[in-house]
Amino acid sequence: MRRALSLAAIALAAGLVLAAPLGAQRTHLLVVTGLGGEPRFSEAFARQGAALHTLARTQWRVADSSVVWLAEDPARDPRRIRGRATREAIGAAFLSLSRRVAAGDVLVVILIGHGSGEGPGSRVNVPGADPTAADYAAWLSGFARQTVVFVNAASASGDFVDVLRAPNRVVLTATRTAFERNESIFGEHFVRGLSGAEADADKDGRTTVLEAFAYAVREVARVYEQDQRMLTEHAALSDSTLAARTVFAAAAASDDPRVVALVAERRVLEDSVAALRARKASMPAAAYEDALERLLVAIAEKSEAIRAAGVKP
Amino acid sequence: MSRWIVAVGAALVVGVAAGAGHTAQPSSARARVDAMLEAGQLVDAEATARAGGAGLRTALGDVLVLRGRLAAADSAYRAAVASGGPEERGARVGLAELMARRGDRAGAARMAGALIAESARGTAGWSARDQVALGRAYLLVASGDANAVRSALRAFDAATAQEPTLVDAALRASDLFLEKFVAPEAKKGYESVLAVQRGNARATLGLARVMEFLNDGDAIGRAREALKANPSLVAAELFIARLHLEAERGDSAQAAARRALAVDPSAMDAWATLGAVAWLAGDSASWDRARAEAHRLSTSPASFYVTLADAAARQRRYAAAEAFSAQALALDSLSVAALGALGTNRLRAGEIAAGRAQIERAFAIDPFNLWHKNTLDLLDVLDGFRTVDQGRFRFVAPAREADVLLPYLAPLLEEAYADLARRYDYRPAAPIRFEIYDRHADFSVRTVGLTGLGALGVSFGRVLAIDAPSARPPGSFNWGSTSWHELAHTFTLGLSGNRVPRWFSEGVSVLEERRARPGWGAQPTPEYLAALKAKFMRPVSTLNEGFVRPRRPDEVVLSYYHASLVCEWIESEFGAPALPAMLRGWRDGLTTEAVVQRVLRIDLPALDARFDTWVQARFRDRTVSEAPEGDAALEPLLQEVAARERAGDDAGLVAALERLVWVWPYDAGVHVKLAEAAARTGDFARALRERRVVLALGPSDPLGARVELARAMLGAGDRAGARREVLAVLEQAPTFERAQTLLLELRRSAPPEDSR
Repeated sequence: MRRALSLAAIALAAGLVLAAPLGAQRTHLLVVTGLGGEPRFSEAFARQGAALHTLARTQWRVADSSVVWLAEDPARDPRRIRGRATREAIGAAFLSLSRRVAAGDVLVVILIGHGSGEGPGSRVNVPGADPTAADYAAWLSGFARQTVVFVNAASASGDFVDVLRAPNRVVLTATRTAFERNESIFGEHFVRGLSGAEADADKDGRTTVLEAFAYAVREVARVYEQDQRMLTEHAALSDSTLAARTVFAAAAASDDPRVVALVAERRVLEDSVAALRARKASMPAAAYEDALERLLVAIAEKSEAIRAAGVKP
Repeated sequence: MSRWIVAVGAALVVGVAAGAGHTAQPSSARARVDAMLEAGQLVDAEATARAGGAGLRTALGDVLVLRGRLAAADSAYRAAVASGGPEERGARVGLAELMARRGDRAGAARMAGALIAESARGTAGWSARDQVALGRAYLLVASGDANAVRSALRAFDAATAQEPTLVDAALRASDLFLEKFVAPEAKKGYESVLAVQRGNARATLGLARVMEFLNDGDAIGRAREALKANPSLVAAELFIARLHLEAERGDSAQAAARRALAVDPSAMDAWATLGAVAWLAGDSASWDRARAEAHRLSTSPASFYVTLADAAARQRRYAAAEAFSAQALALDSLSVAALGALGTNRLRAGEIAAGRAQIERAFAIDPFNLWHKNTLDLLDVLDGFRTVDQGRFRFVAPAREADVLLPYLAPLLEEAYADLARRYDYRPAAPIRFEIYDRHADFSVRTVGLTGLGALGVSFGRVLAIDAPSARPPGSFNWGSTSWHELAHTFTLGLSGNRVPRWFSEGVSVLEERRARPGWGAQPTPEYLAALKAKFMRPVSTLNEGFVRPRRPDEVVLSYYHASLVCEWIESEFGAPALPAMLRGWRDGLTTEAVVQRVLRIDLPALDARFDTWVQARFRDRTVSEAPEGDAALEPLLQEVAARERAGDDAGLVAALERLVWVWPYDAGVHVKLAEAAARTGDFARALRERRVVLALGPSDPLGARVELARAMLGAGDRAGARREVLAVLEQAPTFERAQTLLLELRRSAPPEDSR
């Protein structure tokens, strides 16, 4: 116990805030998959919707009631699709979610489909009348105390950024402007980035929105290059600082004081690595490498101990 | 660096006015002379011009030039100038052109400059022929002056506007467009002349030249049409001679050149053709005569040596081509053709800086030249490539291609070199330059100066170039067999002193591809078997024709395989040393007939007969209903990979994946699979190579790929490398679990002295 207290003191001295217990932040997800127009698009959109649903339930641990998927054809997956993706149903879903969210929660909205229009009139095509960017802006106005991540993965989605931009809100679009109207592949890569470990650039076990975005941008470019095509979609992001802080998966934590202490000790060591890196240019290479190794081995041993306590570090 | 080719100018009017037709009767003695010239009636034209007295002295000079009587033409022009007649300006420019032909560039420029200066004082009162003379004068001073070219075009255009029936102006403008690579404008001009003067010989020849430029249609046939309209059109004979020479039809080229000389004994290009044919045939007497004539006609006959250089390069005699180019340049330091030829041949020899310098000089003089512009742009691209010296080879490739391809290519080429050197008893000097292009257009420019070449690889001897696999769609070709093929040319060219006929060099290369790896190289196709059965394939003695004069589009491809069978048969019948012995025979200057006699101890008819018997017997009962898969078919390889995986056959999986990499090396998943399978078989060196390639491909998860690389290093016994790599990963991502695990493994398994 004494040891734990002293480590907590170290952590405070280093300006750290210890990880909050599991469950402090809740994530809510609204997915809208629009009209495909062709079977191949309908299938692709449904595939991405299903992947997001699974991701939210299994990896982000989102409550079933907080996962809403509206689609072109609910019969395709009646167990998971909540209803038809009409303008009315989307508005109703926002209203319903606004009653569930608490301050500090994360609301994720992901639109998948074909886009059209410009400015506030930009839209993603759904059955019936298409809701516009202005509609989405109005619906989101009720989420000022939450972190909102709004992703429009459709073609011609670029103008959503300016229409929806707001404090505490990250807006991502598949295209830079409303004029990039060719079929977009951003969505599938963004979803893949959220799903796997590949996008987790710093390998801390949590993929931030910024990491998933960067991964998707990279992979989209790679596909175009491999196909020897000119890149016709350039994704955009409204707030990279907030995106770098935002994750959907709740951080694992433990009430076990030994683990809390280990985590704190590891954070101190991580900071020491950062400090050492800052001195790299002024140190002899061998000395730097030796010092780095000592710290990294210590971090690895802490991680090992945390794992041994049954917690994912 | 961006380089703009100079445009000739806005589309100028090169048409002639509707309504002017060849049916109109010549209204003057000069027009009668023109009509006779157009019909090729040079003797009658001369008589008419002589009878016309002072007023037709310029016309007489023009006729005499066409007949090659240059001294007499000079006198006629001088008389015209002295008399100050209506075509005095035409006579002055005629004199200037004669000076240029004799090699007196300064005198020509002086005289042309005087005419240009006169025009600067105003051209009011100048006739259309005077404007044509002005355009010709501008062309005489156009070296290094793009504005002069534009001025020439303006003058021709003004002449056409002034006198639409004077088609000479429109034809000269069109010729100039074509010379400056603006084929569509040239074509439009020739067609507009033909629209009003049907059958005009010069316009018909112009269209033939456009066809050749665009590689679209029977250019020789069209040139022959021009000769029907004007049997004395020397330019048409010279055009035909050049095309024959390029197609290695020496006799036909010679005949066309002789017909040209019968009309105009002063035609330098005709002597150059005769010289080239003689040089290629080793006919020293004819060569000496042609060269002497060239030097008699001009004090600086650079174009004669440029033609020689072109002919030598087409026969892959690159060193000779370079020497002829240098001779040309020594005679005329401002010759764009000589500078271009020397630069190109130096680039082929791998002398990049020297070649570039010459091409830059050429482009400075003639900024319209598309070949030179393309080549300089390519050299800019090459500046961004990485040069890697490895073993006997110097690789030049885009950085990513170098990282991905060289781990396979360098060992393959070393293996090929060792194998070929042993069997051919010949060791080409190192380094052999191997260029790899990730854009086919760049490869094409490197090869022929223009885009659009269909080939995959080229060998200039000790300089090779290939398309990277990324330059083509997946499954287009096997870059391993292609590279082996091109390296085999290095041996056949080198051992024969670059005298090996193309059929033999290609035959050896295809044979060596088949020998390199199972499944590589050409195999019999249904088309080949049908051609063999139909007796379409040429006998050995004329097999070269299948490459240089194909009777149908697929004959070249069929000939590659056929030639490889000839080489295979020679080996089986006469022993493996026969092939290198034949190459040495060509090196010694022997003809193919003599080589066959010396090495195989039979004559050509016997060679033809015996090979035909063998090849017919070999395929008599062979039926192939479908084209073989070839060595670049992706689908069967993917199926084999899947089958080996299902069967848990790691050794087979490694082999199948290796074959797959030679077709398409850019799939990171394939390399991961290969690394894993190799590690399972204990082949850690291969696993390490694969992990490096995965990283070079820019994987989606670079840190993860680096951890796998570190693990492979450890597997291959490189503990220090593994430590360095894993530390570099953790430096960026200190909590990366997989990297941490490896770091702890390294620490705990370290020998005591390594523990820190």
